[in-house]
Amino acid sequence: MNENTKIIETVHEFLAHAVAMEDESAERYEMLADSMEVHNNDEVAGVFRKLMHYSEKHADEVQALAAGMTLPSIAPWEFNWNCPDFPEGGDCSDMVNYLMTPRQALDVAMHNEVRGRDFYAWVARESPDVEVRRLAGEMADEEQQHVDLLQVMLERAELSSEPPLEDLDPPNSPE
Amino acid sequence: MNSASATAPAPATRARDYKSDIKPIWCPGCGHFAVLSAVTKALAYLQLRKEDVAMISGIGCSSRLPAYVDSYGFHGVHGRALAVAQGLKAARPDLTVLVAGGDGDGFSIGGNHFLHACRRNMDMTYIAMDNEVYGMTKGQASPTTAPEWDRSKLTPHGTGVPRFRPAGIALAAGASFIARGFSGDPGGLTKLLVEAIGHRGFSFLHVLSPCLTFRPEHKEWKHQVHPCRQATTSNAAEAARLIQQDDGKGTGLLYVQELPVWQPGDGATADLTGFEAEFRV
Repeated sequence: MNENTKIIETVHEFLAHAVAMEDESAERYEMLADSMEVHNNDEVAGVFRKLMHYSEKHADEVQALAAGMTLPSIAPWEFNWNCPDFPEGGDCSDMVNYLMTPRQALDVAMHNEVRGRDFYAWVARESPDVEVRRLAGEMADEEQQHVDLLQVMLERAELSSEPPLEDLDPPNSPE
Repeated sequence: MNSASATAPAPATRARDYKSDIKPIWCPGCGHFAVLSAVTKALAYLQLRKEDVAMISGIGCSSRLPAYVDSYGFHGVHGRALAVAQGLKAARPDLTVLVAGGDGDGFSIGGNHFLHACRRNMDMTYIAMDNEVYGMTKGQASPTTAPEWDRSKLTPHGTGVPRFRPAGIALAAGASFIARGFSGDPGGLTKLLVEAIGHRGFSFLHVLSPCLTFRPEHKEWKHQVHPCRQATTSNAAEAARLIQQDDGKGTGLLYVQELPVWQPGDGATADLTGFEAEFRV
């Protein structure tokens, strides 16, 4: 949490945060899927593409909650996250590489879902508005379900996982 | 800079609308993805029309940026992005000109153009994405590489040459806006971009953008980068002290000053026929 983070006080403000976070998450997964395709890692590209669809679905659900409302336009640097970056869809650059495995892609997803859950739980705990707390609590529960599902998927992947591919021409070795 | 009002209507053009259909070929984990994202967010925040924006670059990984932004773009010659951009701005002062490049393109091959673009102070934004390595050619030392870095066959014992200091040199060369951002802080980077574009004159935005493929140790940058410990100044002497004392990882707006902006007048100042006559043999 940065020093300027404020408590989210209204439903409009909360939904603006939720929409932005879910959109950013879908966009980040799309970018990762595209990147893996470019580097011929189709299996992991497929995992990220699925995660993108889940995020889009979730974004649509949040948009539906905001139907009929005019949400505030918040500058990208003025969101009140409980962490330095978008909780879902934030920087995970040090967790990805072009030879990553589906299991490692699920690690990225878990990283995102846990942060998303923690964000909603933080709002549910801290907001002075009853309705914001209720909505955030429901979303935190939903994110917890995603975390539980991912945990099962990770355990399965652990059993069937193959070691990461070896790069026969590693890029960071002296030629 | 005014912040977004809490009651302002939602913007009409979204950040993703400024992305082109071309998929970036950067390595997964590259910091340049976040720079692309910050550029599109800044354009969306400012609600600039695509046809009013031109993105110019030279050669290198970062110089691929114009292909990924849905605006006018020109992927130019190595080190010559600023020369092309200044020519464009001279001819089309109405355009918002963004220039993108890396540390090799901008500070080595294009180093001289960098100096003179700073002192000329034309109204444009130069985004220098610094990863301290030539990535596109598989990892050689660049002007900003630490002298002891020895992971390249070309410099097996390091370069032994002190680093080029982009912010300090920009200040000495007369730049009127100097800021440093980090790709790992996309919100902060977007804010700096918005400020840089809004500044009237040459805005130099030095972006620490890790190359995790050839410089995997850059993963540590997220723990090393910090907000600048001193407030923005418009005093060049204070800025010089701040920049010299900083460890090169301090982010924020380091220096801003209103200085005369160079822009050629409209129309030709010489008669072409008469000019040609001087060369007739």
